[in-house]
Amino acid sequence: MKICRDGVYQAKGEMALNPVFRRALALQFQQILKQQVAAGSTAAAIISKIGNREVVGYGFNGTKCYVDRIDFPMPAVRFKENTPDVMALREKEKGDWNKLTIEEKKALYRASFCQTFSEIQAPTGEWKSVLGISLIISSLAVWVYLVMKMYVYSPMPDTFTPEKQAAQLQRIIDLRGNPVEGISSKWDYEKGDWK
Amino acid sequence: MLRAAVCRINNVARTSILDTASRIPAVVVNRNMSKHSTETDAEFDARYEAYFNRADIDGWEARKAMTDLSGMDLVPEPKIIIAALKACRRLNDFALAVRFLETVKDKCGAKEKEIYPYLLQEIRPTLNELGISTPEELGYDKPELALVNVYDQ
Repeated sequence: MKICRDGVYQAKGEMALNPVFRRALALQFQQILKQQVAAGSTAAAIISKIGNREVVGYGFNGTKCYVDRIDFPMPAVRFKENTPDVMALREKEKGDWNKLTIEEKKALYRASFCQTFSEIQAPTGEWKSVLGISLIISSLAVWVYLVMKMYVYSPMPDTFTPEKQAAQLQRIIDLRGNPVEGISSKWDYEKGDWK
Repeated sequence: MLRAAVCRINNVARTSILDTASRIPAVVVNRNMSKHSTETDAEFDARYEAYFNRADIDGWEARKAMTDLSGMDLVPEPKIIIAALKACRRLNDFALAVRFLETVKDKCGAKEKEIYPYLLQEIRPTLNELGISTPEELGYDKPELALVNVYDQ
């Protein structure tokens, strides 16, 4: 069982359903809560959700969270916590920026931000998987139709053979069906053929 | 008729709320509710430039102004950008300056190839003086690191 900043979580694969386990979990939680209460309201003792990160602004909704958004480019907290090497960079930042190396400048940027704009807006290639999966499902639909035709549907009636269809058409023409604008209007009765 | 009355009531409510704010109001402006603002472009530029040029600006206010600018349908004038970069220098925040430049570049939208080189050319003296690198100089115009999608972890 590992304990991280945000609380307690199980390593993958472990089942927490064992009642002994659950009791151990509950005891751990009680201990943590007691520690918090005992520590009172000192900021250092409270397990802060943002850890050691510096709060720098409003963000996009006033909460102290970090989100990379193009429309709200400056998040409320810095991305990385104030570790000693970050603090050392901050000291250098107070001096002349011309003296910073490119690596230090990049490290300063990455300390405050997770992704650059080009990384946020980089194409994900998701369209390929969307197109591929939709085509696969469409082809499954075609397979389903083929199986239905082969094994499920009964054979077509014999009236569908070409000879019988021709005979039916001849009957329609003989009966002058749709003579004004339809099929018989296209038949030339003197010639005995289509117009 | 009703809308005009509501607008006026809204205005009064807004200005009274702004007055009671403990922070210095971000921008002292007559905020009309209709789209027809009486402020000219020059006044708008001057207002934002003056805001960034405040000697006692703090990080919260600078970010607020930058976020507001990025929310508007415009590309900031070079003088606003210069004032913002100088504010970053006063705040000792290099990353904020680079982020703001990325924001400005993104605001150019489809016309980036025409507008962004002009902006860089105008602010180049300030960039050299303060030692701010553009995102291109840092190699951040192309993606550098990849982030695993939370749904793939």
